Amino acid sequence: MGTIIKRELLDQIQSIQFLVLSGASLLLFTVNALVFVKNYPVENSAYSRRVTETFAKSSTVNTELNQRPNPLRFVADGGDRYRPSGYSLNPGGFLRALPTGQINFKMPDIPQLDWSFLIRIVFSLYVLLLGFNAISGEREQGTLRLILSNSVRRSELLVAKFVAILAMATAPLLGGGLISLIIVAINQPQILTMANLARIALILPLTMCFLSVFVFMSLWVSSSVSRSSLVLLILLATWVLLTVIIPNTSGILAEKLSRAPSEYQMGRMVGPLIEKQVFDRIRAILSRAEKGQVSSAGEMRQEADKAYDEGQRDLVRHFSNYEAAMKDRAELSRRLTRISPAGLFQYALEDVMHAGKWREDDFLRDARNYAPIYDDYVLKKVGQLVGVSNFSFAVSTTIKGEDVILSSPSPKEYQGDKSDFPRFQENRISPLQGVQRALLDLVGLLVWTIILAGLAFSSFLRADVR
Amino acid sequence: MLKAILRREILEYLISPKFLIGISLAVVLMVTSTVINLANYRQRQQDYIDAQRDLKGDRATTTIVRGPRPLSVLVQGLDRKLGTKMEVSSWGIPASLSGYMGYYTSDHLRFLSGFEAVDFAFIVRVIFSLMVIFLAYNSVSEEKSQGTLGLVLSHSVPRDQLLLGKFLGGLFVIVGSMLISALLSFLILVLGRSIALSREDWERIAAILLFSVLYLITFYSLSLFVSVLVNRPSIALMILLQVWIFLVVIYPNLGVVIASNFYRLPSQEEVAQQKEAAFQTYEAEYHRIEKDLHDSYSSGKRPDKSLGLRNAELSAIHAECVYKVDQDFNRRLTEQVALARRAAFLSPAVLFDTGTTRLARTDLNDYERFMSGVLDLWQSHVENTKLLYKDIAAFRKAKLPPYRYASESRADSFSAVLPQALSLFFIGVIFFMLAHVSFLKKDVR
Repeated sequence: MGTIIKRELLDQIQSIQFLVLSGASLLLFTVNALVFVKNYPVENSAYSRRVTETFAKSSTVNTELNQRPNPLRFVADGGDRYRPSGYSLNPGGFLRALPTGQINFKMPDIPQLDWSFLIRIVFSLYVLLLGFNAISGEREQGTLRLILSNSVRRSELLVAKFVAILAMATAPLLGGGLISLIIVAINQPQILTMANLARIALILPLTMCFLSVFVFMSLWVSSSVSRSSLVLLILLATWVLLTVIIPNTSGILAEKLSRAPSEYQMGRMVGPLIEKQVFDRIRAILSRAEKGQVSSAGEMRQEADKAYDEGQRDLVRHFSNYEAAMKDRAELSRRLTRISPAGLFQYALEDVMHAGKWREDDFLRDARNYAPIYDDYVLKKVGQLVGVSNFSFAVSTTIKGEDVILSSPSPKEYQGDKSDFPRFQENRISPLQGVQRALLDLVGLLVWTIILAGLAFSSFLRADVR
Repeated sequence: MLKAILRREILEYLISPKFLIGISLAVVLMVTSTVINLANYRQRQQDYIDAQRDLKGDRATTTIVRGPRPLSVLVQGLDRKLGTKMEVSSWGIPASLSGYMGYYTSDHLRFLSGFEAVDFAFIVRVIFSLMVIFLAYNSVSEEKSQGTLGLVLSHSVPRDQLLLGKFLGGLFVIVGSMLISALLSFLILVLGRSIALSREDWERIAAILLFSVLYLITFYSLSLFVSVLVNRPSIALMILLQVWIFLVVIYPNLGVVIASNFYRLPSQEEVAQQKEAAFQTYEAEYHRIEKDLHDSYSSGKRPDKSLGLRNAELSAIHAECVYKVDQDFNRRLTEQVALARRAAFLSPAVLFDTGTTRLARTDLNDYERFMSGVLDLWQSHVENTKLLYKDIAAFRKAKLPPYRYASESRADSFSAVLPQALSLFFIGVIFFMLAHVSFLKKDVR
């Protein structure tokens, strides 16, 4: 067995594919790390500045909950640049997404050159290029018959080929990854904490599992089809389907399948909503006042405050519903992408790295947990929970000859000592929790691997090697 | 002779399983994507019509909405990303569009980004270019490895004619398949009836098709060259795929990485500081007048007209100062995109993308032309607001002009994409010449 693996390894090391893969890996991982170490400190200092400013302001009108830039963005970006840089919190627990960090909205959308992209696209393709002629090539050259005429078991040969291809793909990955890590360690050593290193270490088994899918796929097709060029053709068509077509079409398919309303449809409901919930009720109060059905100015103000508060809540609910519909649509596209092992790998990696969708959800959970603490503080300092609103009203009327002005309550900034302002704490899940979240995707990858391994073995064991 | 070679090549391609796989995939994708994109266009168009009806603005503010471009069904480009709505007033000149919900509540960028549009342009750029490689990688190498090349050339077949025959035969099949799937897509557009394509649109579509042909020729002649150069078909295919992934996936990406890292954009804080500095000269006067106006209203007195006029003037100056800074920032954003394109100018995929989005008017140029009308409308608002303090009767009569901007003419679009078309053409010619020279010198035994 050792001899066969050695022979296979030697064969692969001399191939052009291996050389190109090593060169490409070195270049792309270096670019990845250099770009990260250039941008991360800028984002991090902007974040620290925002946090300091928020604390310095310690506002009782509205506060900002800023999200820390993901320190492992170079491994898995997870679409972070399109996610909000944090949330703005109004008294009463009203959260609204803050704008994203600085992005050039005119630039065409292209995938980030993170580790996830490199492994998913470049390495999966190279595994196919390394493995397509593993069996068919030897059969064409006649060496397969020669090997099997010795006392070498077919299964042993297949295992040896599997090990060699996987090792040849993993070696440049380890080399590239190591260079990337060294660059990061020199420039941003604080990022490489034990927890983050554990997450990065988990990439290896995850990647091996993902790449095994493609290795077994190439071995299966290579032993089933006799002509190497046809093998490559089939493999590439499959690769295009799994890594390009499925992930890209899932977005438009989800859009078609989900019934989320358009932004305009949601937007046009805002006016009537406020009209119905707030202004109609204010008008009703005024007309009751005219008819003498309201006994005091205090009662009127109380009702107006209630209308304002409920209108505010409805508006927030309206925006949240839209956001939830959009998130559901994004989730549907993720589910569709999971048909492909590339999708499974991407989401598993994001979970382990704590990037992407989960990171935003976790942040929102932390924000919701913080909201009551903030409310308590505002109540303690100001005595009421009034936030910045999209609408306001001010009308005058008379009750029993007394002029009364009904106006929307305005938020009050507490002017005294605010040194006890509660600090917002963002929690990061542990690597183990990340693995737990990625479990389903990992099982999916394993199922792919087992099925393709089964197909590769059964096909090779029955193959005519003449 | 050429005719016989052509016939043989075309027949061979047509009966090959790879052609059948490729064309089926392309047709299925083309039909699916057109149906979905058309439904999406219909929704956006309906929103646009509703918004035009509902969001008229008032005397002080004009709401402008930007409709979807009809050809975005085929080449989506940046059409969905660039926003739909803005509000112009004498005190505010928008430098960019937001979604329909407005600047602070709209998340239109966030939910749209991340998914690549699957449209005609994507299918040609990715699927057809791969199909070209699959069809052409063995056109010479396989004949050589099977020994038929020596056999063919042992007859009185000139080498250049054989290569030309292979080139034209393959091209016929590729362009034919592309046109068939495009035709299906057009059929859906015409039968769908929800999109009104003008004659100019059809001419633009014809130009997009021509661009697609040029793009595919580039990959075809590249594949032919590699096929001549490398004797083993599988190695030829492998090399071509590595070149493909570099040219279509990695190189354009590196262009963006280079532009984003070598072209610095000012931070949001710097932009805010610049805006403050630009208005600093007027700041004190502005606050003084605001205070005077406030005091006047609080004391129940009607403020002096000259005070109101000066306040309107200063608000307009403020809007202009802010706009200038925003415009400078916008210019930098555009320059960064241009640098990304320049850095990746050797990628046929980038040339194709630049050309087709310009032709479909789903690129930055069209957006910037649209935004160029803002300044004129703002001027009218400023004049109108001043009338309020100078001549109230004239103010009541005055009507704001409709929003105008100069859309790019067909001739201008065609001449603008000429460099990209020529570049694609020359890359194709160079590879064909290389293939030609290598084939003439090739040992066919």
